[in-house]
Amino acid sequence: MLNTPETHLATHPAAEMYAAEYKAGQLSRREFMVRATALGLSATAAYGLIGLKPALAQRATPPMGGSLRIQQGVLALKDPRTYDWSEMGNVTRGLLEYLIEYNRDGSFSGVLLESWESNADVTQYTLRLRPGVTWNNGDAFTAEDVAANFRGWCDSTVEGNSMAARMGGLVDAETGQAREGGIVVVDDLTVQINLPAPDITLVPGMADYPAAIQHRDLIGTNPLDHGVGTGAYRIADYQVGIAARLEKNPDHTYWGEAYLDDVTFVDLGTDPAAWFAAAEAGEFDMTYQTVGEFVDLFAAVGWEQSDVTTGATLAVRFNQLNAPYDNVEVRRAILEAVDLSVVLELGINGQGTVGENHHVCPIHPEYAELPPMAVDKDAAMARLEAAGQADANFTLISLDDGLGRFTCDAVAAQMRDAGMTVTREVLPGSTFWNDWLNYPFSATEWNHRELGVQILNLAYRSGVAWNETAFANAEFDTLLDQANGIQDAAARREVMARLQQIMQEEAVTIIPYWRSLFRHYRPGVVNADMHPKFEINIHHLGLSA
Amino acid sequence: MALFVLRRLGVMLLTALCLTFVVFFLTNLAPNLEKLAKTQGNARMSDAEVLSWLDRNGYGGPLLVRYGEWLGVMPGWTRLDEPTGEWRGRCLAPGQTPDEAPRRCGLLQGDFGFSTVSDAEVAAIIPERLRLTGILMFWAFAVMVPSALLVGVLAGMREGSRLDRALSTVSIGSTATPEYVSGVIFIVLLASSTTGISPLLSELGWIEGRTLFLGSARSAMDSGVTFWNFTLPVMTIALYGMGYIARMTRASMAEVMTAQYIRTARLKGVSFRNIVLKHALRNALIAPFTVIMLQFPWLLTGVVIVETLFNYNGFGWTLVQAASNNDIELLLACSIVAVFVVLVTQLISDIGYVFLNPRIRIS
Repeated sequence: MLNTPETHLATHPAAEMYAAEYKAGQLSRREFMVRATALGLSATAAYGLIGLKPALAQRATPPMGGSLRIQQGVLALKDPRTYDWSEMGNVTRGLLEYLIEYNRDGSFSGVLLESWESNADVTQYTLRLRPGVTWNNGDAFTAEDVAANFRGWCDSTVEGNSMAARMGGLVDAETGQAREGGIVVVDDLTVQINLPAPDITLVPGMADYPAAIQHRDLIGTNPLDHGVGTGAYRIADYQVGIAARLEKNPDHTYWGEAYLDDVTFVDLGTDPAAWFAAAEAGEFDMTYQTVGEFVDLFAAVGWEQSDVTTGATLAVRFNQLNAPYDNVEVRRAILEAVDLSVVLELGINGQGTVGENHHVCPIHPEYAELPPMAVDKDAAMARLEAAGQADANFTLISLDDGLGRFTCDAVAAQMRDAGMTVTREVLPGSTFWNDWLNYPFSATEWNHRELGVQILNLAYRSGVAWNETAFANAEFDTLLDQANGIQDAAARREVMARLQQIMQEEAVTIIPYWRSLFRHYRPGVVNADMHPKFEINIHHLGLSA
Repeated sequence: MALFVLRRLGVMLLTALCLTFVVFFLTNLAPNLEKLAKTQGNARMSDAEVLSWLDRNGYGGPLLVRYGEWLGVMPGWTRLDEPTGEWRGRCLAPGQTPDEAPRRCGLLQGDFGFSTVSDAEVAAIIPERLRLTGILMFWAFAVMVPSALLVGVLAGMREGSRLDRALSTVSIGSTATPEYVSGVIFIVLLASSTTGISPLLSELGWIEGRTLFLGSARSAMDSGVTFWNFTLPVMTIALYGMGYIARMTRASMAEVMTAQYIRTARLKGVSFRNIVLKHALRNALIAPFTVIMLQFPWLLTGVVIVETLFNYNGFGWTLVQAASNNDIELLLACSIVAVFVVLVTQLISDIGYVFLNPRIRIS
């Protein structure tokens, strides 16, 4: 449905290289799919290169009609560039579509783009638009729309515009706007993006939830105010904190298929116990995400379960601007004291895989395997004493939710086992997020990113906005720049190994585990599988007859 | 009488003024404003961005001036947004310039302001929320008052009897159980398909659905109140108030039953039934009447818990949302409503007292 294989690239020199790597066992199937489809190959062509038939990405075709209720927070909408929760994107995805969609098997497929390709050194992307797409106000969807959105994304003067960071080199650091000549409209259906330096993260950036495509004249506006979009649905009712209802727009001819007649997002607050009570009362058909003990509870009442392994984690991090965490020996001692497998078991009931105290996950294409870090509680305490901080009282701050609280409790318990003094502080969400960047020692939830370098760019490069660890390391930054320009996963892995090592050596943060994400839905809901980035595309959803 | 009502209204205005100022002051403390900026702008804004956001959205001025703006005695703020060349301001609709818009827009002009958390006008939100809470309160009172009076009268008519002891124990138990305890117990016992009595009943085929009652009152908002979806929230509120009113009624009834005129009636040979119904009841109900009116403010706090627990988006739920997101103008409006409800019910209670007890005169 989403792919038109004829117009996608059939092959690409780099993709063939990846195929060889896959066959040599250097890349997993999932990694191969991420890399190949990011280069512009259709999923079918990519599977063809490695001699597999596409199986996972295919969706069932549900019958037309029906209405569905999804449990999910309904937050106040705003300019999509400034979205800070994937929930916002999920609601507007029925109205505002994206250029590219990230699938749950790790591949990318075109939505408003029919195909895209990059040159060999990844400094130029050619985006080909899907013909025949119209806005629901009657205008045709053209290259001007795409160019206007790119310019909007690059405007780093807009507060909270996180797309500017995703556009990387396309943003001119001096003006804070798109680089001159960076966005070229070739013809009505073709846009060319020219980057000053190689960047492999542009495609995942275009697929992320703040990258919703707005009409060329409506950049920077709240979609709720104008209701103009390319999607099959329109927002019929939107009450923040209560519910949002989308219905199929009868006055609009949608380019693809949409099955459900209407979809309601039901906000039941943040307490999973309330969600479960409401599920028992039949208030909704599908959860946004099921967490902790409720995974078993939902399964026990007969709901279908869907899970996906991701690079989502909880970073129990230090802020190096605060004593005593400015002392690397203190940080090392804490890392040495904490047995991550215990944290995984106690923090998230073992629903995931053990982490390695660096923020690159084994499912990332460029992940390098490092020797395991030793856990030695006596050595940790000795190290702390040597640093003169044996009496230090560590205050570990966490959010008042299951994940953050239990994980930090487990970390604190491990530290106490080693003989350290730890105070736990639990803050409610509203207070916690006020100062999340600056707490001396706290835990932050990080979502999955498609490539390993992405999160390093976002959170660990010196001086970037979300650098909560205050980690500043010149060697790290230089290597990261280098990694950003290496397209070959195996070659990048060499650089990556050193980056991961630096994170471990400098004891930047505790990365205790990689989470599996779960979702439950009533039997009969179709294509409601969990997505590594929590995305829900209501165009795909349906109800079996 | 008119003077009395007038004076009460004056007190109400003064209370509302004081309370809103306190709420305004607390919600405008620096950390709270920062929270507001982060929920409205971006959860992960830096400190510099927060300051810029607050300044651009009119939270930068002195506290008293902004309180005056909200009251409508000071002109609303306006500022020219440099990069876009558009005017922004408290009283400005998008695209308006300060000349086209009214100078003041506050409470005195009938403008309750804008709710940041709901992304809508406060005046548009509050009536609907109050209506929903009104429905809940109505049913809670409809259950609570008659049952409390019945229990109280039955317990108080023969003080110290076995019936009195049994009913008193029940009343004390129910009033000693706060809503957040009884609500959870009800849900576990009656609204879960895996625990409590629902699986048993379902197995026996005595109930149609999976659970006896619904543990969520959300469906009552759209598709109407049913016995199925409203029993638990109503019972949770009613039980708590019931015990208290019943105890008051019992005390009052017991006192009346020892009065001289009741003894006289008994000596005259009036039947016990007639003594209770015709002679004792009216006098015994004076004290509970005040208590019942006092329950309104109590219920306002009760609905905060019950509406959150049962996902019912009424006034209490709105209050929680407004407080947890530091929604200044919505919180202020909620405070006004609360002051209004409390003082009006007290006024009714005082006036009603006069009619019930002719010995009292309002000066």
